[in-house]
Amino acid sequence: MSDRIFGAIGVLLAIAFALSALAIQESFLSDAVGPKAFPLIIAAVLAISSAFIALKPDASPKWPSLNRFVEIIAAAVSMILYAELLPVLGFIIATIFGAAYLTWRLGSSALESLIIGVGTSLGIYVIFHLVLGLALARGPLGF
Amino acid sequence: MDTLNSLADGFAIAITWQNIGLALLGCLLGTIMGALPGLGPSNGVAILIPLAFTLGLGATPSLILLTSVYYGAMYGGRISSILLNIPGDEPAMMTCLDGYPMAQKGMAGQALSISGIASFVGSFFATWGLIFLAPQLVKIALLFGPAEYFALFALAFATLGGVSSTNQAKSAFAAALGLGLAMIGVDTQTGVPRFTFGEVHLYDGIDFLVAIVGLFALSEVFIFLEHRHGNADASAKKVVIGRLTPPWSMIKRCTPTMLRTSFLGFLAGVLPGAGASLGSFISYSMEKKLVDKEGTFGTGDPRGVAAPEAGNNAAAGGALVPMLALGVPGSGTTAVLLAVLLSLNITPGPLLFSQNPDVVWGLIAALFIANFMLLALNIPMVGIFTRVLMVPPRILMPVVAMVSFVGIYGISGSTFDLLVMVGFGIGGWVLRKLDVPLVPIILGTLLGNAMESNLRRAITIDNGNWGTLIDSPLAIGLWSIAIIGFILPLIVGKVVKRGMRAGRDTAKDDENSLVD
Amino acid sequence: MTFKATRLSLAAALLGFTALGASAQDFMPEAPECIAPANPGGGWDFTCRQVGKSLQDQGLISKTMQVVNLAGGGGGVAYAEVVNKRDGDEDLIVAASTATATRLAQNAYPGNTMDQVRWLGTVGADYGVIAVDADSDINTLPDLLDMIKNDPTSVSVAGGSAVGGWDHLKVLIAANAYGVEDVRTVKYIAFDGGGEAVTQLLAGSVQAFTGDISEAKGFVDSGDIKVLAVLSPERLEGEFADFPTAKEQGVDAIGANWRGFYAPADISDEAYDGWVAKIAALYASDEWKAIMEANGLAPLDMQGPVFEEFVADSVQQIRDISTEIGIIQ
Repeated sequence: MSDRIFGAIGVLLAIAFALSALAIQESFLSDAVGPKAFPLIIAAVLAISSAFIALKPDASPKWPSLNRFVEIIAAAVSMILYAELLPVLGFIIATIFGAAYLTWRLGSSALESLIIGVGTSLGIYVIFHLVLGLALARGPLGF
Repeated sequence: MDTLNSLADGFAIAITWQNIGLALLGCLLGTIMGALPGLGPSNGVAILIPLAFTLGLGATPSLILLTSVYYGAMYGGRISSILLNIPGDEPAMMTCLDGYPMAQKGMAGQALSISGIASFVGSFFATWGLIFLAPQLVKIALLFGPAEYFALFALAFATLGGVSSTNQAKSAFAAALGLGLAMIGVDTQTGVPRFTFGEVHLYDGIDFLVAIVGLFALSEVFIFLEHRHGNADASAKKVVIGRLTPPWSMIKRCTPTMLRTSFLGFLAGVLPGAGASLGSFISYSMEKKLVDKEGTFGTGDPRGVAAPEAGNNAAAGGALVPMLALGVPGSGTTAVLLAVLLSLNITPGPLLFSQNPDVVWGLIAALFIANFMLLALNIPMVGIFTRVLMVPPRILMPVVAMVSFVGIYGISGSTFDLLVMVGFGIGGWVLRKLDVPLVPIILGTLLGNAMESNLRRAITIDNGNWGTLIDSPLAIGLWSIAIIGFILPLIVGKVVKRGMRAGRDTAKDDENSLVD
Repeated sequence: MTFKATRLSLAAALLGFTALGASAQDFMPEAPECIAPANPGGGWDFTCRQVGKSLQDQGLISKTMQVVNLAGGGGGVAYAEVVNKRDGDEDLIVAASTATATRLAQNAYPGNTMDQVRWLGTVGADYGVIAVDADSDINTLPDLLDMIKNDPTSVSVAGGSAVGGWDHLKVLIAANAYGVEDVRTVKYIAFDGGGEAVTQLLAGSVQAFTGDISEAKGFVDSGDIKVLAVLSPERLEGEFADFPTAKEQGVDAIGANWRGFYAPADISDEAYDGWVAKIAALYASDEWKAIMEANGLAPLDMQGPVFEEFVADSVQQIRDISTEIGIIQ
């Protein structure tokens, strides 16, 4: 069943891709093939392979239970928050929170998570910023 | 023996205490950067350019430092592929396929050692190839016009079917998805934006590093989260490290593989626009085609680890041929090295070997030094690397996630890239649940633009005639290999395979590996 | 962008330079950064790295110039970034060239115009060349243009810019000057950079190459390619003196690719004058002269307001050509 839904989504994706390929505004001066042809070929491959998947599905995978599913969504949201807050809070603070949250959700105790979060953050800061000299996000406190 | 004399001069230039120290520093930093997801050879070299300038290094010492980083990163990429199933950089993608299953079988140490040896063999032969064959090889590069490049890329996609999945429709879907993602951004031929939805961040296209790190590293984190109440923690702790050095018989069995793939990888590297990723990919798929009679590739076959590692390191050496002899970068990393040469007032090109022999031979000597140093560093350190497996996933996975974020943010400084990466992480998790292989997606994003540009160039040159694609003996040859060697067997063997697949599906344990 | 204008503005630029106040001399960027709006290896990247290194060597900046590659949209991504996000950043300069002016003229940076940044100065110019393989039967520019005139499908011209970009325009300007009626029929093949385009010329995939002297130099020295014409007003000096100009072959076409920098708008006058003074001092140094010579850069010395005016003129001129040729309406 999963594959049938997946195949159907794939076909829709291919149609959407083809439609936006057709909407590409062609420049007045173009080459012999133009910017649309190759995307249209890709859309065709995408549609055919999706149709195959839908018509000849594999056995369904074991999907996680609802609460596990919520867990994954929550982790994704925490990562999005991390990305957004990185330039605001600065690298060290944001990373302590980000790492501690994931460690906690993967089954460590709260205190342990905090310690690991601090350790991860400082460790990465030393390797990436101090040793390799990469510019990491600078927060209000300068790190 | 003019060449050997020049080489001796090169060693005389390269062997000073300062240069050896720089090579050691470069090898260490390069290995670290290669192993960290998100930092690959090209970024590694780019990051260290300011260091070379700040230290006030001359041309030869700068090149020694930076090529050591380059080779170090090529070695380092395999470490995280084997231990974590997360490629440290794009050429190490193929090493996951057999390296991670080997680690799960308790052979992590042996996988690291054999891949280290394979990396050495690949680089070693590639460096000799660079010395003796550079002028002749340039002629090979000149045989490839746009139509031939297009055929070469098509061949790469044709071999996918054999590599990554039992369900060919899903391989094809993944490849098309990757190619589609590559189309995002400003069209390189006419300058019109495509699939950008007015978002200026997308004008540049999606960086394949963002895609790799999201698809492989973050999706791995999600999978661990999903299984927390299951037995992920417990089973991971049971991983045995086993012996660290491979038995002699394993090395012996891998030797023909290493030699063949060194040659193949080197050729792929010599072609500008193909590069190390294609080198490791083609090496793996060709070797599987050639020697995998029992179907052990993908389940932890040491030859499946040796092949891509010898291939990608040989390609790294090969990519220096067009860079030095034509001034055309064959890969992202050589593009950065080219920029370094230019800012040191050295213009690579046909006359480099005669005008700046000290630079060329010093560089080649540095390659040998770095290569031996890396072998000497890597084999004893296998024991330390494998300790990573002792860290429980509940600690390791958050570190992997954070390193991934930092690797991407540190290079691009863009929150937008991080959001795209999270999107790839979720997408990667869903695709892995559905048993869609991830390798073709990366291959598509890596090669998509070059494939399209060459198609359009070929057809424009021949005034809109699509027949030009099969107009030269070389193009016909490449297409024939693709069709007779890879496409036909799929169709013919389908009946046989279908029976096998039905049996395998039920027994399959789901997402423990990239391939089933 | 004729040479006459260059000579005149040179004098003006010198005047402008001496008029700068003491405060400009004291300006020292804290963390100097140069955006190269393309991937490593190209002309913009070269400009950033070479100028950054030379500025540091001569003590004009105290820290290493951080070179940031921000590719995309033919420089459009970098331009938008500077206008929208880096406004007022006094540590930042951005590499630019005729290609930047071309895109601005053709409205290829959506919503951006040339007065949204401040133009600092040039560090030299690269004249265009049109070349063929050393073994080719074609020996003069009129030979090549005659072939194009008779049968445009018989000649593929390779260059390193996108369709409508500067490398493309150069060959169109030459064709236009020679009287090719519909220059849009000229077959142009876009490659990722001049190096790749020359390689394909050597491979025999294309018949002619349009690019800059600096891109072609190595291959001319090795005898692999033959320069049909330099698009300069008069013959260049030194080792380039052998190349015939287009003009002396009766094709009145000139194409100079200047290389220079812009800075964000809204920086203080002190910072602007400071950068202008640094670039002027760099240009005047003997070290830079040697670098220019080694890389085939011809003299073009303009800084500050003179350069702003020059860019405005170029943009207008390219807009006129593009309209005439039919690239933009």
